[in-house]
Amino acid sequence: MSDKPPQIVLIRPAPAEAALHLSPALLAVASPILLLLGWEAVVRLEWLDSRFFPAPSDVLVALWQMLLAGVLLEHSFWTVQRVLIGFVLGAVPGALLGLVMGLSPWIRAFLKPAIAAVYPIPKVALLPLIMMIFGLGEPSKWVIVGIAVFFQLLLSTLAGVLNIDRIYLDVARNLNATRLQAYASVALPGALPTIFAGCQLGLGMALIVVVIAENFGTSAGLGYLVWRSWQVFEVTDMYVGLMMIALLGYLFQLAMGWLERRLLRWKPAATAMKGTP
Amino acid sequence: MRSEPKIAIQGVSRSFGAVAALARVDIAIAPGEFVCIVGPSGCGKTTLLRILAGLETPSTGQVAITREDSARPLNTMIFQESSIFPWMTVRQNVGYGLRLRGIRAAEIAERIAPLLELTGLARFADAFPYQLSGGMKQRVSVARAFANDPELLLMDEPFAALDEQNKALLQEELLRLWSATRKTVVFITHSIDEALVLGDRVLVMSARPGRIKADIDVPFPRPRSVVELKQDPDYVRLNHDIWLLLRDEVRPAA
Ligand SMILES: Nc1ncnc2c1ncn2[C@@H]1O[C@H](COP(=O)(O)OP(=O)(O)O)[C@@H](O)[C@H]1O
Ligand SMILES: [Mg+2]
Repeated sequence: MSDKPPQIVLIRPAPAEAALHLSPALLAVASPILLLLGWEAVVRLEWLDSRFFPAPSDVLVALWQMLLAGVLLEHSFWTVQRVLIGFVLGAVPGALLGLVMGLSPWIRAFLKPAIAAVYPIPKVALLPLIMMIFGLGEPSKWVIVGIAVFFQLLLSTLAGVLNIDRIYLDVARNLNATRLQAYASVALPGALPTIFAGCQLGLGMALIVVVIAENFGTSAGLGYLVWRSWQVFEVTDMYVGLMMIALLGYLFQLAMGWLERRLLRWKPAATAMKGTP
Repeated sequence: MRSEPKIAIQGVSRSFGAVAALARVDIAIAPGEFVCIVGPSGCGKTTLLRILAGLETPSTGQVAITREDSARPLNTMIFQESSIFPWMTVRQNVGYGLRLRGIRAAEIAERIAPLLELTGLARFADAFPYQLSGGMKQRVSVARAFANDPELLLMDEPFAALDEQNKALLQEELLRLWSATRKTVVFITHSIDEALVLGDRVLVMSARPGRIKADIDVPFPRPRSVVELKQDPDYVRLNHDIWLLLRDEVRPAA
């Protein structure tokens, strides 16, 4: 036996409750602002070459002027339009085929090798071919975005359906659900969380692809703005384009997160929070 | 007495690859009968029930089920594990079978209202499953099956995961619902007490590959009072007999 007196173990409220509340939203805003401040400082101190890295304040001034002139909104409008049209064109058939492949082992076995072979091709490598087929105009941009989104949604939806606990399909079968009813009441809602994850990735992919496609056959769009600025060495304008693209990506994420929270009310809050940007 | 069985299981066996799950099962179940099946874990109880539910086919033998009313679904299964849809509210889950049959929303609401009341779910009708306790989820499964109003109810250890109080409550609810509707019930359990409290008959299964080892009539009159029943000397004796039968199966072969 030891001579030491017995110790008392205290269990009390977590100190965090009393401490200052740092909201995640505040932290999320802090990192871009710190980045911009650091960047500004480094350029002002001439540690960075302002020909390649103009100060954020200069970029913001240029952005403001382009906004007032209306060109920035016009470029953004075209990019958003192409992304949205291409997204719908690719996401709807991608998700539908993913559902069908998820529920039908036959169709899955038949199509999976072909998809596995095509999927790793970088989608932008198809752009020349698509412009040959669809011309330089709008349709080729919708198609290339659509293809990129299609594969993302197909694979996400398929993974989502395959992940659904078998028991739910047994319930539907035991209650004599038709195939269509099983799709609508089990496969689609069960895969929806993964479908949303696929939509987030797909939108990111759509932005990448559209910016590259806007190098060709158009004089509107944020991608066009970036490429033209490159040709005429207007570095500040290029940064304006980059900033707008980043902002668009962020807004898309916000919109998706909002939609997800509305449609996935059945998920416990802890899981749903992962979707919050 | 059992002239025309509701369910006639004849020589049914089932193997999964090299594993023989069921070996030559013969059972006849009368209309309106409440049959409990007890057996050691892994002896093929779930497999037998899935065959009755049409979710699995036998390797040999056949099952004949007499259908009385073509307007009603033949069978509904209540699964061992939680099987209510996380993406539907309690109300949508309970009305699911009816919705699949194309019944109008207003009629579904009308038909499930008394069931929600009876199972104590009315206050939670618009909650999602993640907001419910385990006992309540199981009530939703039971309510979903009764709302579907099948001729035959197949229950696979539905209350096994519940605490004693919830189990007793749900057993009473089940008996109340059953006596009001007189469905044929096949109820699987690993609890001898549960089998004796609920059943007209207890079938004891052997270890895998499962066979019917004993077929025991439960003589207690209904309605049964669970507390008094457990004092009855006949109950104690039956319970002990079945326990001995099961013990032989759980013990490794001597
Ligand atoms: N789909 C299946 N594939 C392979 N083996 C299975 C399958 N279903 C059940 N089994 C096997 O059959 C045996 C009986 O299983 P089960 O019917 O679930 O037993 P119980 O419900 O009595 O515990 C077990 O050994 C199990 O591993
Ligand atoms: Mg089982």
